[in-house]
Amino acid sequence: MHPLEEKILQSRRDFLTSTAGGIGGLALASLLQKEAPAKPVGVNPLEPKENHFAPKAKACIFIFMAGAPSQVDLFDPKPTLNKLNGQPLPESLTKDMRFAFIQKESAVVMGSNQRFKRYGESGMEMSTWLPHIGDCADDICMIRSMHTEAFNHHPGQLMMNTGVPTFGRPSMGSWINYGLGSESDNLPGYVVLTAGRGATGGVSNWSSGFLPSTYQGVLFRNQGEPVLHLANPAGLPHECQRLGLDTVRDMNQLHYEATRDPEILSRISSYELAYRMQSAAPELIDLSGESQETLDMYGVGRTEMGFKASRGGPKGTFDAFSRNCLLARRMVERGVRFINIYHASWDHHSDLDRELRFTTAMCDQPIGALLKDLKQRGMLEDTMVVWGAEFGRTALGENRGGFREANTGRDHHPNAFSMWMAGGGVKGGQVIGETDEIGWNITKDPVHVNDLHATMLHLFGINHEELTYRFSGRDYRLTDVAGELVSQIYT
Amino acid sequence: METLVDMMKLRFLTLALVAALPMGVTASTARYDTEVAPIFAAHCVSCHGPTKQKAGLRLDSPAGLRNGSDGGAVYLSGQPEESLLFQVVSGLHEKLTMPPKGDPLSEAEQGVLREWLAAGAELPETPEGAAGVESDHWAFQPVQRPELPALPEGAWGHNPIDAFTLARMREAGLHPNPEAEKTVLLRRLYLDLLGLPPEPAEVDAFLADESPDAYEKVVNRLLASPHYGERWGRHWLDLARYADSDGYEKDRPRPYAYRYRDWVINAINEDMPYDEFVVQQLAGDLLPGATLAQKTATGFHRNTLTNREGGIDPEEDRVKQAVDRANTTGAVFMGLTVACAQCHTHKYDPITQREYFGLYAFFDAALETDIPSPLPGEEAAYAAAVEKHNANVAAKETERAAYIAGLGEKLAAWEDGLTLPEEGWTVPAARSYSARGGSTFQALEDNSLLLTGEAPVADSYTVVLKTDNPATRALRLEVLTHPDLPQKGPGRSPNANFVLSEFRVFAAPADAPHDVTPVPIASATATYAQKDYPIENALDGDKGSGWAVGDGSKTSKNSTAEFLLAEPVGYASGTLFTIELAHHYGGFHTIGRFRLGLTGADPASIPFSDDVFAALKKAPDERSDADRAALLAAYGKDDETYRQLTAALAKAKDSAPAPIASVTMALANNPQPPVTRIHNRGDFLQPGAEVQPHTPAVLPPLKVRGDRPDRLDLAQWIVARENPLTARVAVNRVWEHLFGDGLARTSEDFGTRTEVPTHPQLLDWLAVSFMEDHHWRTKSLIKTILMSATYRQSSYLRDDIQQKDPTNRLLARQNRFRVEAEITRDLFLAASGLLTDSVGGPSVRPPVPEGVMNLGYANSIKWEESEGDDRYRRGLYIFFQRTVAYPMLMTFDCPDSNVSTLARNRSNTPLQSLTLLNDPVFVEAAQALAQRLLTTGPDTLEARVATAFKWCMGREPKAKELEMLVGLVQSQEATFAPLPEEAKTLVGPYLPESVSPATAAAHTVLARSIMNLDEFLTRE
Repeated sequence: MHPLEEKILQSRRDFLTSTAGGIGGLALASLLQKEAPAKPVGVNPLEPKENHFAPKAKACIFIFMAGAPSQVDLFDPKPTLNKLNGQPLPESLTKDMRFAFIQKESAVVMGSNQRFKRYGESGMEMSTWLPHIGDCADDICMIRSMHTEAFNHHPGQLMMNTGVPTFGRPSMGSWINYGLGSESDNLPGYVVLTAGRGATGGVSNWSSGFLPSTYQGVLFRNQGEPVLHLANPAGLPHECQRLGLDTVRDMNQLHYEATRDPEILSRISSYELAYRMQSAAPELIDLSGESQETLDMYGVGRTEMGFKASRGGPKGTFDAFSRNCLLARRMVERGVRFINIYHASWDHHSDLDRELRFTTAMCDQPIGALLKDLKQRGMLEDTMVVWGAEFGRTALGENRGGFREANTGRDHHPNAFSMWMAGGGVKGGQVIGETDEIGWNITKDPVHVNDLHATMLHLFGINHEELTYRFSGRDYRLTDVAGELVSQIYT
Repeated sequence: METLVDMMKLRFLTLALVAALPMGVTASTARYDTEVAPIFAAHCVSCHGPTKQKAGLRLDSPAGLRNGSDGGAVYLSGQPEESLLFQVVSGLHEKLTMPPKGDPLSEAEQGVLREWLAAGAELPETPEGAAGVESDHWAFQPVQRPELPALPEGAWGHNPIDAFTLARMREAGLHPNPEAEKTVLLRRLYLDLLGLPPEPAEVDAFLADESPDAYEKVVNRLLASPHYGERWGRHWLDLARYADSDGYEKDRPRPYAYRYRDWVINAINEDMPYDEFVVQQLAGDLLPGATLAQKTATGFHRNTLTNREGGIDPEEDRVKQAVDRANTTGAVFMGLTVACAQCHTHKYDPITQREYFGLYAFFDAALETDIPSPLPGEEAAYAAAVEKHNANVAAKETERAAYIAGLGEKLAAWEDGLTLPEEGWTVPAARSYSARGGSTFQALEDNSLLLTGEAPVADSYTVVLKTDNPATRALRLEVLTHPDLPQKGPGRSPNANFVLSEFRVFAAPADAPHDVTPVPIASATATYAQKDYPIENALDGDKGSGWAVGDGSKTSKNSTAEFLLAEPVGYASGTLFTIELAHHYGGFHTIGRFRLGLTGADPASIPFSDDVFAALKKAPDERSDADRAALLAAYGKDDETYRQLTAALAKAKDSAPAPIASVTMALANNPQPPVTRIHNRGDFLQPGAEVQPHTPAVLPPLKVRGDRPDRLDLAQWIVARENPLTARVAVNRVWEHLFGDGLARTSEDFGTRTEVPTHPQLLDWLAVSFMEDHHWRTKSLIKTILMSATYRQSSYLRDDIQQKDPTNRLLARQNRFRVEAEITRDLFLAASGLLTDSVGGPSVRPPVPEGVMNLGYANSIKWEESEGDDRYRRGLYIFFQRTVAYPMLMTFDCPDSNVSTLARNRSNTPLQSLTLLNDPVFVEAAQALAQRLLTTGPDTLEARVATAFKWCMGREPKAKELEMLVGLVQSQEATFAPLPEEAKTLVGPYLPESVSPATAAAHTVLARSIMNLDEFLTRE
């Protein structure tokens, strides 16, 4: 038996013993129990569990820029692009490529209008449109050699979230909560925040797949109540709610005595946690306790500052994204294990410069603030921040329909793209990997999505090959059948 | 040494025998049997033979050798050094050495292998796949009816099921639980068979019925209820990964997906035998004289996702669908995790990658088709509309024909009044044609030129015409559509357009072709020009401008441009015109098909098309029907009556009734199936060896009706009596729904890695009984289980059971478990009286909280809320939008329908509690229940509380429970008394007349509390 499994079964035994004489404690369920993997019989599925080895990260904020930002305009400067502007690529480069929209026959290289700057002591190059993130360069590990298999959005987003480009698998946040449980007793362990338009993958991006729904991402909404059905029905005073819940609890307890089914204890605990969440979630999203300085740092209350874009989101997106970054910090403070911040869309098939101006202006200040804020509070040490998307964009201009004149955007590019990480044991101020002169192929230290996942789990103290779940006769894992640790990220 | 000597002898013998061999058996063949096969048997077959097929390779039969491994062929005839087979045993291979353990092949053995390969590697003829695979795994053994366990006379139980369970309990020193209370039994039956709670009157009737068959009567009644099909149909829909939308980014709705769902409900209500149920879903379209219902059944495999994201590779998506169909077929019907063998030969189960693609091949050969499938009434209405339409067209035709018949003199007079030039347009065949940018041409019979091959972004065409006309006055360019062009052309751009930047003409005498002079053009006209792209642009010498014919969706039509030369051109020896058509615009905006013509007449004097002109030039008695029709059309332009009659006829023809939109999503056989190949490492871009449709060798052989195995052969093989898996898997699943766990706990996997069933003999007894006694009828099987004492036990968890058998493998009690997502909703709606219990029909969209559907891609999901009774339909009718599924369903572990779900999770989370407490649907149920209670219930508080409890739980509350609930109502009423506005808000639109808001609010809280009890959601 695997040590982790043993620990979980042990904790379940402990729970059953400690609650034999009464209720109280948290909800219950079995996890790695071989004979009935999916049927809880009475252990808190989110009870904190032990890691495989000492973790460096306790929480993760994954900032997902759905649609796929252009790495050659933001993170991976390629002066050669401008020299080759307007020229076709040799067939050897494009022969085996599958593009979503580019017509190979007439496609030509598109130069970049972005300027790059060296930031921090490490001199890491990034776009001049990312000054706040650039300020944190020495905490950032830039990976310029990411690659993936999927070249369409939905499969690509599933790949980045679940490790395979198909439906039905649990997302990374679900896996980590399944493996480690949650530190919070009044908030979900996996929370999702979104701003802008809906991402292509919709809720499948934070699905728990075949894992129990306990582990699925809980969407904190930016309109109405923060969690679906959090608020009592209109007209129900607080004391009535408590009284009603007390009766429900007492009667459930009576029925437990009549049936002796521990699942009833689990139900009682779920109701108690729900009740606590009813006050914890509104407290969480209430920013009145934050100083004006903090709010300003994140840009809460910002308008779009005159920037316009057709894909970047409706009015209010800047403010929503700023709030989400601040909320993410508040969640980590309150023990939430995994937070996804989504923004859609960065799918810049046309009008690249104007769209990028909008999205960088939207994300730069709040993300920079998040990194600095975490650091000044001493939280960056064990909070991992990841910035990325499903793939990158082409050096070729997009020529949908064969028009050369209309090249104002870039197509999907899975061969090579950039992501960055900070905190949670990640070694900052370094760049991993290199790409060729036009950012087409990786020339040094390729990092596959499964490698990234393996490394992230490692920083959480989890061996990616041992975090498994039996489903339909097979032991599944986040990294499927692949994944090599990229030790350079943390050493 | 001895071996070598033996080998030498053998070789000598073989050589000596060559001359004596019978016809047809060559030396090399003989050596396979006598020399090569023994080597394989000695060194290889333990891993590449009947028990294991590592890397998908078998070396125990000629067929296995021919098939090769997952990676493809293992030898090249005549080339030992290039053959993997030889490389790995001789140290020639860089990475692999075989055998990995044990003695390597001796030099002599290597020599035999090398010579056999060098000589052509001939193999005896044996049919493919004839070699069986051996397995001692229980699930692959034939299903036989086991003996009943011997038990003492009068032992506990009602039927053989109980003998099997009791025997196991006794072995473990356990005894069964007593029968559950009647109220518990009744609610259990209702929830298991209908997914609805019993009405209080039904509870009372059952309690009052003391006849010995009271229980059986209820079972019979419930099995006959139409709601039984809903309950058990939904179980099947999990397996069928049923949903109402495509999935993936666009996630378009599938408005007719429900036709399959309704087929399932009907088939289950009619108790269609399971073997037919399976055959129809896999291959209903291939049954002789397939009915619409049988084709609808194939919608089973239309529930696969479809990706319509822009830029998707359609072949990749098609392959994904066929893979899903193969995986689902293996899992649902046979409990086989064949999906594992997609990338490599199965690590645990005896399924090779080749066999996986053998299964895949059945579905590789299937096509998706949407067949018209009128709803009741639709067909008659359509037929009536068609009849009316036909009559209308006939009337208009008659009227017009009568008018035409009377036209004789008018027509002649019209023709007499015409003055025609001597000549019209001629369209000579091009003498030569070329293109600067590499475009290629095909000359068509009508002397037009079609551009073929890869289209360059831009190009200039040069065409040479010869004419003997002494004075050509004008040139004509016709741009023409063609089926081979993008959207039929006439241009080659993706939107069918072109831009003719420049049109230039040169002339030379036929006897001095190099003496070329430019021909000035005076003016040009065109039948159509796109805005800002007039024909004059083609003459202005500006490369940046041109003539184009873009017209939105109507671009695909012919157009004509005429060019009047500045002065007539002609040479005595004949004239060579060189015409240059330049396209500088880019984006493939080049002409796709065109024809050049010329005339010596003034083009303005030729008011007719070429066919009319030609007809006019003929003597009347030489004219064909086509000529006469052309003349009539030309004449008609100036005859108002004719024009009106013709327009009226055209309008009548155009107003045909729209065909019936209702369709059924079905499968059909591809008449030209693609060649199926193994996808190396599961990647369709790495095709490997060719594979025919076939089934795994570990299972009984496939019987094939025709030349090529098809889905019907596969389906009949699945339900054949000798298939060891199908019935076992089916009865296990039924058991799982009635006990919470299957007899084989991993109902999704019957492979070798599963544990042995808790009651293997009972499983086999049920499987045989299902096939032979019940004739595959599920209702009958279910009834047998329900009648057993094992099913009827109480679910009370005794101390001795908890100690000896904590997971209840021995069934000394029933299980209790939370009902599924849909049934949770159904219980709330039914108990409150809100439920609309109609069966079938299009899926409904109940209200969802604001913002939920925005999570779909770019706000593209349209969720038009259903109105009226449709808001209160059962959970299984909720429109399942894959990317943004109805939140309540997902919170309660409803499958996401992206892949087949063989066993649902049963989680227990705070979000479930929040949903049950606060989801407006459930709050409304509490309001409605309170209103129903206060208007139709008894007068005293105690009696009311007891009634509400009975509506929900199907039993009277115990004294303590009653006391708690009465206390709740009283305290709530006191709290609400000074808060009438809050009370009114809580009660919502369900405030009964003549009841105070505080009382109504207190009862609403009562209802909400009862419906949040664990017992309410639990099948005890």
